[in-house]
Amino acid sequence: MTTATTTTTSDRAADDHFLDAPKAEDLASLLINKERPPKPSALSASLTFGWRTVLKIKHVPEQLFDVTAFPIMMVLMYTYLFGGALAGSTSEYIQFLLPGILTMSVVMVTMYTGVAINTDISKGVFDRFRTLPIWRPAPMVGYLLGDVLRYVLASAVMLTVGMIIGYRPDGGPLGVLLGVALLVIFAFSFSWVWTMFGLMLRSEKSVMGVSMMVIFPLTFLSNVFVDPKTMPGWLQAFVNNSPVTHVATGVRELMAGEWPAADIAWSLGWSAFFVIVFGAWTMRLYNRK
Amino acid sequence: MSDALGSDALGPIGRTVTMTGRRIRISARDIDAVITSLLLPLMLMAVFIYLFGGAIDTGTAYVTYVVPGVLVLCAAFGGSTTAIGVTEDMKGGIIDRFRSLGVGGTSILAGHVVASTLRNLLSTALVLGAALLIGFRPDASPAGWLAAAGLLTAFVVTISWLSTAVGLLARTPEAASGFSFFMVFLPYPSSAFVPIDTMPGWLHGFAEHQPVTPMIESLRGLLLAEPVGNEPWVALAWCAGILTVSVAASAALFRVRSR
Repeated sequence: MTTATTTTTSDRAADDHFLDAPKAEDLASLLINKERPPKPSALSASLTFGWRTVLKIKHVPEQLFDVTAFPIMMVLMYTYLFGGALAGSTSEYIQFLLPGILTMSVVMVTMYTGVAINTDISKGVFDRFRTLPIWRPAPMVGYLLGDVLRYVLASAVMLTVGMIIGYRPDGGPLGVLLGVALLVIFAFSFSWVWTMFGLMLRSEKSVMGVSMMVIFPLTFLSNVFVDPKTMPGWLQAFVNNSPVTHVATGVRELMAGEWPAADIAWSLGWSAFFVIVFGAWTMRLYNRK
Repeated sequence: MSDALGSDALGPIGRTVTMTGRRIRISARDIDAVITSLLLPLMLMAVFIYLFGGAIDTGTAYVTYVVPGVLVLCAAFGGSTTAIGVTEDMKGGIIDRFRSLGVGGTSILAGHVVASTLRNLLSTALVLGAALLIGFRPDASPAGWLAAAGLLTAFVVTISWLSTAVGLLARTPEAASGFSFFMVFLPYPSSAFVPIDTMPGWLHGFAEHQPVTPMIESLRGLLLAEPVGNEPWVALAWCAGILTVSVAASAALFRVRSR
């Protein structure tokens, strides 16, 4: 009898508990008293990730060394140590060198995009991004948009130092802006190469190593420092067709107040190539990761 | 090795030889460092000869002008990497082990320096071989070659001792590696790559009177059989001065650090 009574009591308790349990709809109405927010647009999501990249710069200011100190050292060293020997005078050489070094330093900075992606992958935060209901390429585009600020900052620093030591762009503010715009477009496009390597390679060190192996020959074997006419014939063939040469010439002439249509076309053509080929490859890797 | 080190039969020279052997074996295993110490001077030489050579007027073939500077840069960079090895030893606790075996600081530090000198003379010879392949044509007499080799050896020994002092001063290998960057940069404001008279006037004073310039000018003169004046003596005076300070500083720092 005791057993029966106990059973009856427990059944009743279970029924009461069942009756008291709130329904899912009731909970939802309590918790969500307004409509679900709309899915963020592609632009909004990309800008958010771009802002994240900017905040990372704020928290790790050492990464700005390559944007500021290194290019300044390069421009001072080449102008004052080699300018007289290469162009007859330092004041003459700075007119040729500064747009070239500007191109070189911004192109070198592009590799940090790949490093940042690789770091995020190794930390696991990347998996979190992929679960979010956002436009698929937003994290990638965000990295690149954040880096655009870095490119603009590098350009501003270099131009300021250049002006102090005697650089005078004949193209005026408009020529300078057009030159920087061409450079930033190219750098943004070229960064897709490193996003691909950032996804492909296993460690940050590997990404840095591969980047250096590509960037150093590409920037040095160009017309950044000297006119290719003074180089051996076999080297001229490579230098004259290097994307960095086209960009450096484009930037140099735009800042000098000229309109180098062919070099602008080549620079934009290379930019399109990098986005189409490496952008597509990056997204393929990203979707499979 | 411990038995050999501990035995009284092995004098200070024997212990130094053992320590040198140890450092050479460690260097041989560090493939990255070996490649860097060879590739950096070779790359710089190629960049200056092929990229800038045609644009720089030195009154002679640019390869002839630049190679002595590259040899000094190679020796300076190679010698400066000793700092990293010394710092790693001081940090790793191996020094206490050696001290317990009765090995004095002189043998330990001299081992680093001798190994560095041998390593760098080899890498400098390889760089010189590469220079000969790409068109460097020295006119030196046997005496000139001997004098050039002697000067370069004195320079490597000096930089290695200076680097040893820096290695004892630095607390981490990363900090010590900064010294090698300084040593790579030092030949730039000198006559290594371009004639000093092409530089701005305010740079002349430093470029003409820094320790690397007389060494480069001496090597250039000796290898090309040109008059060198008193440049070799100035270079040796610099070496003697830096060496004296470096050895004294190394001894004092070693006593402090291994106390």
